[in-house]
Amino acid sequence: MFFRMIKGAFVRQWKKMLMIALTIALGASLATAMLNVMMDVGDKVNQELKTYGANITVVPKTASVVDDLYEVEDGTSASSGAYLREDELGNIKTIFWAFNIVDFAPFIDTTASLSDGNGVTVVGTWFNHHLDLPTGEALNTGVHSLRTWWDVTEGEWLDEQTFTSGTQGAMVGETLAKQENIHAGDTITLTTEHGSESFTVAGIFSSGDSADDQIYAPMDAVQTLSDTDGKLTSIEVSALTTPDNELAEKAAKDPGSLTISQYELWYCTAYVSSICYQIQEVITDSVASPVRQVADSEGAILEKTQLLMVLITILSLVGSALGITNLVTASVMERSNEIGLMKAIGAKNSSISALVLTEIILTGIVGAAIGYFAGFGFAQIIGQTVFGSSIEMKPFVIPIVAVLVIAVTLIGSVPAIRMLLRLRPAEVLHGR
Amino acid sequence: MTKQKMFLRMITASLIRRRSRMLVALLAIAVGGTILSGLVTIYYDVPRQMGAQFRNYGANMIFVAADTETALTMDAAEEAASVIDSGDLLGMTPYRYETVRIHEQPIVVAGTDIESTKITSPYWHIDGSYPASSGEVILGSDVAELLGLGVGDSFNATYSTGDDSDSDEPNLGVDMKVSGILETGGSEENYLYMSMDDLNELAGEKDSLQVVELSISAMQEELRSYVEQISENSDAVAARLVKRVTQSESTVLTKLQALVFLVTAVVLVLTMICVATTMTAVVTERRREIGLRKALGASDKSIIGEFMGEGLLLGGIGGLVGSVLGFVFAQLVSVNVFSSSITFQPLLIPITMVVSVLVTGLACLLPVRSTMAIDPALVLKGE
Repeated sequence: MFFRMIKGAFVRQWKKMLMIALTIALGASLATAMLNVMMDVGDKVNQELKTYGANITVVPKTASVVDDLYEVEDGTSASSGAYLREDELGNIKTIFWAFNIVDFAPFIDTTASLSDGNGVTVVGTWFNHHLDLPTGEALNTGVHSLRTWWDVTEGEWLDEQTFTSGTQGAMVGETLAKQENIHAGDTITLTTEHGSESFTVAGIFSSGDSADDQIYAPMDAVQTLSDTDGKLTSIEVSALTTPDNELAEKAAKDPGSLTISQYELWYCTAYVSSICYQIQEVITDSVASPVRQVADSEGAILEKTQLLMVLITILSLVGSALGITNLVTASVMERSNEIGLMKAIGAKNSSISALVLTEIILTGIVGAAIGYFAGFGFAQIIGQTVFGSSIEMKPFVIPIVAVLVIAVTLIGSVPAIRMLLRLRPAEVLHGR
Repeated sequence: MTKQKMFLRMITASLIRRRSRMLVALLAIAVGGTILSGLVTIYYDVPRQMGAQFRNYGANMIFVAADTETALTMDAAEEAASVIDSGDLLGMTPYRYETVRIHEQPIVVAGTDIESTKITSPYWHIDGSYPASSGEVILGSDVAELLGLGVGDSFNATYSTGDDSDSDEPNLGVDMKVSGILETGGSEENYLYMSMDDLNELAGEKDSLQVVELSISAMQEELRSYVEQISENSDAVAARLVKRVTQSESTVLTKLQALVFLVTAVVLVLTMICVATTMTAVVTERRREIGLRKALGASDKSIIGEFMGEGLLLGGIGGLVGSVLGFVFAQLVSVNVFSSSITFQPLLIPITMVVSVLVTGLACLLPVRSTMAIDPALVLKGE
């Protein structure tokens, strides 16, 4: 009989039920959208912060390089005796945190002379290099993704995969280009004690730092010029990291000082120190250190953005909870006549409560389901408009929203029902 | 009693008699108002607050000598920097590089304003402490390894111009102490940093700097205009943006603002709809009252007028409460997230009230007009 009554109510009053369900859907969609955005915003902002470039540098253990920051040396720069091995580059994508490695590029530095005899620093690197990994994956990476702030003022970015000229391509810094009157499309010849090589200038770039005085060329060509085949002076890595905390700082000083469980926790969290440690494990004789300027600031900005989103989400959850409670109370009060009548005919309080509650909760569930999908839509709109990518829907938002809607519906209906039941049926029927 | 007085009396009496219902409606409006004023305040403040966070990346502008002939002096730099708003110029750090001999090795030393580096290079990681007195220096970690020096060690540094033939005194150099070791993961680890006074004592006074780093709180457009102004005004100084810092800051900040804007818009739309539904429910509940009034002979206009009056009053009070609560919320967020106070926008209070009144009014209007169409007899019967 109970279910017959419920079914009857839904069939006869479906319009009203729908109204209530839709309004609950509204509140639920707000909660869903905010929760999903809040959980994903950390990853999204982290990706955006990658425009600052590499946050980890890897150098040979026994390097002791003393370069000048703003002045170009005419002679050979003080060189180390040690190098990193080029064939180990693919290993970077095999560490525990391989998925967090967004981009990386190798570097080899040398000095060469231009055709007019002037000395210039030449940096060999990848621009947009295709790498096949030992794991079977393939990726495109290089300086193109690590130097997002370079303004290509003439010509275009050099892409090793599509560069079709007969000679190798190169990119020249703006200051040097002005000095030596080099333009995009020109051919320049670089000479070292090991030989000579011609390059076609693919583009002139403006970086706003010391790179403006240098020439960037493909790795292999520079290695040949400096007789360092298969060797690298450094590797830059851009990784998605978790902001540092006490554990991370303790581990950064000495991983050996952690207990076993602390070590596991540290190793399995994407702290920048943990990723550096893992890189050192796969690249022989290397020292990987965080680029503090980027890594520390990233952490601070990420934390603040996440906290901001959490607070805004809490506000909107409170708002939607209040809205739903309000509405549910109002709809229960509306049924005062019906409840009074049922009591007058002799129904027990518990049966009336059960009936009304069941109807409301069922409506609530329908509303929550509609709301969840609407919220999904809102979240994607936000994700696409702001970040140009879709928001990842975290599955455990579903139980959170479900619990929220049910709890709020109960809070809204139970006191109202109890109040109505306490009144005398005659008064209620009369319309007070 | 005048018509207006009676009108006011009826509205307030109605609101007071139906306290509980009206309180509920007021709550919904206040929540809407809170969200509106709170989120809008945050939206306007996010660029300023987040922008300050981005200063953690350090200097965003550098001064270098305009050409190889002219020397970059501190005076020229300060004069060039005078075009920048003093409130925006957070820090200015000069650097003078010289090569000295320590343990018979040539080491590049940077003379600078140590206090100032805390602002233009906040990401410096010092193992030990910053120099507290003269003679104390910061050693880059690579240099420390090269020389085998640790925190607290003393060493002797000598500077020679290579032309000691006319000097009879032996070049004793200066004794210095390592107060801290610097770790940055960047090229700073190759240098030794000391105060400008110490470098003057060691290498003689020379009013010539290699570079001046500046940390300026401004967006990319403003920074570009500063660069242009400085390049025009000064012969000795060339200003350049540290693109790596400014470009990225601009990109990320714009995205963050867009995020807050969209979130605000979505939350606002949904909350306003909630307010509308609540008001609709409140008005629908009083259909019998409306029917009764019509049967008694009230004109449509006066009934609509009275409901609107109630709605507007509710909207106004709710808006006021909401704007105050919204400001409290925004302040809470600002203090907890950015550890700084929010800039109060006085214009927001009237705007919130106006919007609340409009939304409430609109929400009241529609159901009231629909009930006008119904036959009073039917409504009184309870249909």
